[in-house]
Amino acid sequence: MTEQIDKVLEREYEAGFVSDIESETFDPGLNEDVIRRISAMKEEPEWMLDWRLKAFAAWQEMVEPEWAHVDYQKIDYQAISYYSAPKSMADKPKSLDEVDPELLRTYEKLGIPLIEQQMLAGVAVDAVFDSVSVVTTFRDKLEEAGVIFCPISEAIKKYPELVKKYLSTVVPMKDNFFATLNCAVFTDGSFVYIPKGTRCPMELSTYFRINEQNTGQFERTLIIADEGSHVSYLEGCTAPQRDENQLHAAVVELVVLDGAEVKYSTVQNWYPGDENGKGGIYNFVTKRAVCHTDAKVSWTQVETGSAVTWKYPSCILKGDNSIGEFYSVALMRGAQQADTGTKMIHIGKNTRSTIISKGISAGRSNNSYRGLVRMNPGAEGARNFTQCDSLLIGDKCGAHTFPYVESKNPTAIVEHEATTSKVSDDQMFLCQQRGLDPEKAVSMIVNGFCKEVFKELPMEFAVEAGKLLEISLEGSVG
Amino acid sequence: MSNWLESAVTRAETVSDWLSPKREASLALLREAKVPTRKTEAWKYTPVRAIDQVTVSTEVSASVQVESIDDLNSVDLVFINGEFDAAQSSSELPAGLTVSRLVDADDSARAWALSAFSNIKPDRHLFGLVNDVLATDGALIDVAEGVEIEQPIRIVSLLTQGAEAHTRVLVRLAERSKVAIVEQFLGNEASYNTGFAEYDVAAEAELEHYRFATQVNEALSIGGSHFNLGEKAQLNSTLIGFGSKLSRVDVDVTHAGSHAFAKMNVIYLLDGKELFDLHSTVEHAVPHGTTEENVRGIVADHAKVVFNGRIHIHRNAQKTLAELNNRNLLMSRTAEINTKPELEIYADDVRCAHGATIAELDKKALYYMQSRGLSRSQAQVMLNFGFINELVEQMPNQVLAEWLRPQLKARFAQMEVG
Amino acid sequence: MMSSEKVLLKIDNLSAKVEEKSILKGLSLEVKPGEVHAIMGPNGAGKSTLGYVLSGREGYEVQSGSATLDGVDLLEMEAEERARAGLFLAFQYPVEIPGVSNLEFMKASVDAQREARGETSLSSAEFLRLAKAACKQVDLPLAFLKRGVNEGFSGGEKKRNELMQMLLLQPKLCILDESDSGLDIDALQVVAEGVNSQRTEDRSFIIVTHYQRLLDYIKPDYVHVLADGKIIRSGDASLALELEEQGYAWLTEKEA
Repeated sequence: MTEQIDKVLEREYEAGFVSDIESETFDPGLNEDVIRRISAMKEEPEWMLDWRLKAFAAWQEMVEPEWAHVDYQKIDYQAISYYSAPKSMADKPKSLDEVDPELLRTYEKLGIPLIEQQMLAGVAVDAVFDSVSVVTTFRDKLEEAGVIFCPISEAIKKYPELVKKYLSTVVPMKDNFFATLNCAVFTDGSFVYIPKGTRCPMELSTYFRINEQNTGQFERTLIIADEGSHVSYLEGCTAPQRDENQLHAAVVELVVLDGAEVKYSTVQNWYPGDENGKGGIYNFVTKRAVCHTDAKVSWTQVETGSAVTWKYPSCILKGDNSIGEFYSVALMRGAQQADTGTKMIHIGKNTRSTIISKGISAGRSNNSYRGLVRMNPGAEGARNFTQCDSLLIGDKCGAHTFPYVESKNPTAIVEHEATTSKVSDDQMFLCQQRGLDPEKAVSMIVNGFCKEVFKELPMEFAVEAGKLLEISLEGSVG
Repeated sequence: MSNWLESAVTRAETVSDWLSPKREASLALLREAKVPTRKTEAWKYTPVRAIDQVTVSTEVSASVQVESIDDLNSVDLVFINGEFDAAQSSSELPAGLTVSRLVDADDSARAWALSAFSNIKPDRHLFGLVNDVLATDGALIDVAEGVEIEQPIRIVSLLTQGAEAHTRVLVRLAERSKVAIVEQFLGNEASYNTGFAEYDVAAEAELEHYRFATQVNEALSIGGSHFNLGEKAQLNSTLIGFGSKLSRVDVDVTHAGSHAFAKMNVIYLLDGKELFDLHSTVEHAVPHGTTEENVRGIVADHAKVVFNGRIHIHRNAQKTLAELNNRNLLMSRTAEINTKPELEIYADDVRCAHGATIAELDKKALYYMQSRGLSRSQAQVMLNFGFINELVEQMPNQVLAEWLRPQLKARFAQMEVG
Repeated sequence: MMSSEKVLLKIDNLSAKVEEKSILKGLSLEVKPGEVHAIMGPNGAGKSTLGYVLSGREGYEVQSGSATLDGVDLLEMEAEERARAGLFLAFQYPVEIPGVSNLEFMKASVDAQREARGETSLSSAEFLRLAKAACKQVDLPLAFLKRGVNEGFSGGEKKRNELMQMLLLQPKLCILDESDSGLDIDALQVVAEGVNSQRTEDRSFIIVTHYQRLLDYIKPDYVHVLADGKIIRSGDASLALELEEQGYAWLTEKEA
């Protein structure tokens, strides 16, 4: 049976093509001069450059973390190019008509049509290609509602007050090795501001694509949901199939003010490397939200890509009655490794958090849930519920659970549960006895295992995630 | 390097006896060791600096009487400040049981002790290494094949004001033998001790084990009980932890033979400014092993508890059943609970689960009891006791359970709540 | 019952083992379209094994003999191919598949089987209508369609759920493995009525049971006694009554 399932799990990476686009790429290497050049390319104000240099100085004193349950070749930070942009971007296109057609074709190939009339109604897209934002759609319509959705490089110039006020307030500059590196070298990413009491009229979405060889992607996203506002934000990512490992070290900060709500969904499909663990993206990401009074943040992630994933989308539940949620599916196979989970820091009274994590391990992969639930002394009446389930497919993989639970308030209640299971022979036989082939049976059982998380995804993404899982499981390119 | 670690290394260099070949390896590790800090995962929540603050004197009183446990009818082995006290220990042993002191073990005892010493206890335990190099007295307990020892063996380690002691216990259960062993730690004055025990439980042998880590107040006590289970071996272990200025216990269970069964019940009750830190690791190295671990605790006043419960299922350990359950009651705004149940699984056809909860006493139940005329503190004691009594009832030796109950109740009665 | 010369299921001298233990030892049986055969016998006789071997469960190794369905060799097919060829097994202990809804599961199964037969798949609306009807027929609340397959169902509910799947899949040959065990009299009648409603001139049933009571409601054409891996006695419905009164001992003794 295991053999059968293993065969089902072999699959090719669909997004692994390379786009033939002329790019301007920095030579590999990292020093102050590179940072100055990035800043200059972006035509940044002085304060931004100073901020970057400060981060760089701090980073040089820091050491790469080693506590995660992952094992990878040491990264040579001098062998990475820290900036790459399509040449055609020199004069930033004003509209889609001015975008390099090859770029548009790339996104189309990925199933992300940027041509507005073809787009799924109601999703505005920011497309980030290597180091720059290529295009952001539906900007006019969003502006009418007062919503700002633009590349962060643009926001630094156009909305410096907002950026200055909130940048690195959620993830401090010296938070961790990768986040500090990101501060020094980030090139682009999305900026979102939802004004008071506004419900964002459409889903916002960013697609990240690494194309160039030997480049790292360091994007930075800052979302500010002002009082009583609401936004749903989606993020997707892919990269070509290459033999070298590439680094993706992003920082995402969510500022969720009183009574606001942010739903942040990710479908992560970076190139996972080949069966033997050659190549693939190192996905070392810091994502965090600060929730003020009555605010709510919901992180939903479907992780199927990357060679190594190190990521813990977290919530600081600072305001009373604020809510944090984390729903995660991580499907690892081949030689993939993931160490992912969340932190829920309960500070305010009556704060609530829910963590549902579904890890699927196949092949020779290792999949770890690592989480922290902390009840601070002031977290009167706070509640947490955590459920971590692992599904093992085959006897060469690993599934691990490392939850840290800390409480300093007697009125707070914390509940953590974890289980493991396998796709049982009985389940497979029942499905086959009803006429289903093994591929369909496995994908159905795995989808069923993930259901609690999939139902949290926005509609379009739920379909995409389900399909992604099916492709992951089917072994055929279809 | 801190004083205590430096001093341990220096003193170890002067220790020379039949265990030296084993001690050297540990000493080498100790020389390379770093003093644990907050960034040391195994000591994340437990500072060890208190060891440097205790004043150890060479002139300690050794004339103290150890209380016996009524009706237990145990074989007593008493160590006062790390030294064997023959007068307080039993002189007669049941047939099939051989007990020697570490210092005067004969050749046959030395032979098996050399193979067990530091082989069952993993060398990642820093204070285990300290014990390896400094423990000069202790007990070697050997239970012959197929023998069932009726009398429980009670090993008491008592510390007096200003003492430092390192005692070591090695136990071998030959195939199909059966015995109950109680490790009891006493002494609440300022003192520092490490107490480690290694158990080699051969095929089809049954070990009933108790560790009463009940030193409180100023005592600094660090130790561990480590078990190696052969095929179809059975372990039933009960650990009671009170907590003191520094109280740390490491428990390791290795399923080395298939179809072994391990049941571990733990109760910790903390009050005042006590600290109790328990790290347990269960290694399922072979198929068809079963582990049931139940850990319950109540933490009051300014106390702090740390629990880390790891279950590791190796690649080959198919058909393992392993469950760990940790339930905590947090009684006060100034107390603290840190728990981390861990699963590390490399085999697919297994059933593993863990759960951890932290909550306060059921307010509705409290109110209900008060409405029937009980005082709040009475009600609290009853509810608290109910919470842990389930595990007390599961103790295979009910004489011990009876002896324990009033001590546990006394803890509840004095617990500072709020 | 209607009977023709055509044979639907033909088992010839079938021997099979599980984990090195021989369970079936030269079993032969012919089932014609429209017939209902009851297979009775003491515990451990190999009753459940017969269903598993015919439906292709992994771990059941055929040592010798043959089995054909409509003249096609069953034993060469994968489990899902046998299902698509029209063989349905109602499990004695149906497994739970958490998170996969009953509806989703049955739609996928029906689609797969229709596709194999070269038929177009049913629209969601059409299928939903059929599923609701089947759900009502087995006396399960409609909410069961949305619940995970067998997830948290009682023993009786699981048995009825099996029957519901049978109603939707419309197989040629239904093997009911102890579908009566653990059912109260009302549930037993629901199962029996469900089966009876499906009796047609080309659909056949093999009812595996330890007790006679289900046969009060589903009248078999033939009753076989399976002991020690083969059929030691065959007869009509009256054999079941005889077994009810006298147990199995007299038969096995005589055999020995």
